[in-house]
Amino acid sequence: MIYGDKKTGVLVQGATGKQGAFHISLMQEYAKSVGGRGVVAGVTPGKGGQEVHGVPVYNTVKEAMRDHDIGAAVIFVPAGAAGDAIMEEADAGIPTIVCITEHIPVHDAMMAIAFAQMEGAGVIGPNCPGLLSPGEVKMGIMPAKLFKEGNVGVVSRSGTLTYEVVDELTRAGIGQSTVVGIGGDPVIGQTFTDVLARFEEDQQTKAVVLIGEVGGNLEEEGAASTDLPIVSYIAGISAPPDKRMGHAGAIVEGGEGDARSKIARLKKRGVPVAAKPSDIPRMIRELI
Amino acid sequence: MKLLEYEAKQLFAEEGIPVPKGTLISRHKETLLHMDTLPEKVVVKAQVDVGGRGKAGGVLMADHETVMETARRLFDTRIRGVPVDRILIEERLDIRHEYFVSITIDRAKKQPVILFAETGGVDIEETARTEGAIRSVSFSPLLSDIPGFLLRELCGNAPADIQKTVNRLYHVFCRKDALLAEINPLVTTPARVYAADAKLIIDDNSLGRQGIIVNRDLTEREREAEKHGFSFVELDGSIGVIGNGAGLTMATLDLIETYGGKAADFLDVGGGAEQERVKIAVQLVAGVPSVKVIVVNLLGGITKCDEVAKGIVAAGIHQKVIVRLAGTNEAEGRAILAPKGYLMLDTMELAVKAAVEAAQ
Repeated sequence: MIYGDKKTGVLVQGATGKQGAFHISLMQEYAKSVGGRGVVAGVTPGKGGQEVHGVPVYNTVKEAMRDHDIGAAVIFVPAGAAGDAIMEEADAGIPTIVCITEHIPVHDAMMAIAFAQMEGAGVIGPNCPGLLSPGEVKMGIMPAKLFKEGNVGVVSRSGTLTYEVVDELTRAGIGQSTVVGIGGDPVIGQTFTDVLARFEEDQQTKAVVLIGEVGGNLEEEGAASTDLPIVSYIAGISAPPDKRMGHAGAIVEGGEGDARSKIARLKKRGVPVAAKPSDIPRMIRELI
Repeated sequence: MKLLEYEAKQLFAEEGIPVPKGTLISRHKETLLHMDTLPEKVVVKAQVDVGGRGKAGGVLMADHETVMETARRLFDTRIRGVPVDRILIEERLDIRHEYFVSITIDRAKKQPVILFAETGGVDIEETARTEGAIRSVSFSPLLSDIPGFLLRELCGNAPADIQKTVNRLYHVFCRKDALLAEINPLVTTPARVYAADAKLIIDDNSLGRQGIIVNRDLTEREREAEKHGFSFVELDGSIGVIGNGAGLTMATLDLIETYGGKAADFLDVGGGAEQERVKIAVQLVAGVPSVKVIVVNLLGGITKCDEVAKGIVAAGIHQKVIVRLAGTNEAEGRAILAPKGYLMLDTMELAVKAAVEAAQ
């Protein structure tokens, strides 16, 4: 596992909102099933003293830190406040900050991520499903029942496409070490390179599935940075140029970042690229 | 959203960047042109979102005698197929030198990046091919000004006013939530520095706080979709696609292409899709004239499958719907769809294959 384990206490920012409260209950359910600490505190300014599914809510992250041992935070606050939430957590000293929120202005994300980096915190996201280490910890919104403990790491710019791949792996009897959604925005905290570096240090991870999409070149940069065996899948071969395909970062701009040239560059590096998600389990088997 | 030249120039001027004196005229609106205040020599510029506008005939020279006739002629032309609804009439500058400056975001560095060339103008793309002709610097987004040493490194021998203007453009870039802020050419005249052209693209996630109500870059159907929180892109095939999550929806489109079909759209219903929104999504896609069959591919993370199923049934459309549902409350979702006779398949490959066959 990477970024956290059973012993990691999780803080949820935006605990009293609809999504925050719903996912606190799912994260708690998961923690209970694996015997982990799960969510130990929530934060919503002005709602201090309340409880959400038995989790105490505080007005500020610093107050929550005084009462609890917290190793990671998950953010569910609205887009306009999310950059601020990232900075509040980094300032309070939380080392891993998962930002689920979508539609954050890119300038806010860029500043908050730079601020967090200065404070020594790693930001996963924004616009991501979080991470899940089967049997250890869930930080985010991934549907736990699709996962199975094992040796394959998964890192992806997508949410549901990741679940699709995890589902295929699990059905094929291939378990996962940690699955990380790094987010679909143009500016994200942890990149493929950062997550792959963690997987390299992780004893449990023997191979990695790298799921990318159109836009930017983080996939190629990541694949070039590691010696781990990788199987890749790139979404968007049918994406027309200059159209944003759902994710703010999924756009072929100025003829750059299109799926076919990404795939060609990965293959040139010797990375096998799956034509469709269901090919991935077979290709992973061939590597390990 | 892309702004037009005259809009971008207004915002540039607010940050203290000098722009030429100009008057905007519209095809459908009467304008009083005060000839006495109009300079003798002018440039007549079509306000269209077209690259290489000058070379495509969108920028014409005129004087007092010819300005009306020139504007009339420009209203009657199309610039690379785009009709001209607005024209900016500007004083013609006594240009001594043309520079190029462009600010955008370096996704890999997660920082603003500034490009600068000592020879700007319409041939910038050729200039870019020369090694070293375009210099670039990037720096921490936490800084509110470009550090002086970087400005000097970037601008080389250009006059100090050019450096000042580049820094002001950086202020525009930050304060207006821009994805791109560009001046090409940034010119010098015997008197001063001017932004002779202006490009500004605003982050779609910031339109609200920038006071922009309607995103002009979207088609009417895309705008309708946006109102409901969907990501929607119109394409030209016969298979309607609804998915949850951008990656999964894109992968569904790719699979359609792999099996020899053509998608009619990309619609991501987003997380937490509820019954009413799914119903609207299905109706929206069914309304695309070329759609023969709709494939709905949903894996529940944040999305609840029973909500989705109710929405599909409630849409009551005439096209065939092929559904693949998995995730939260999956069994409940299936129980709602099965009695209605909707084709439910277990994997996205089976669903896409069936849809491609149905569309033929």
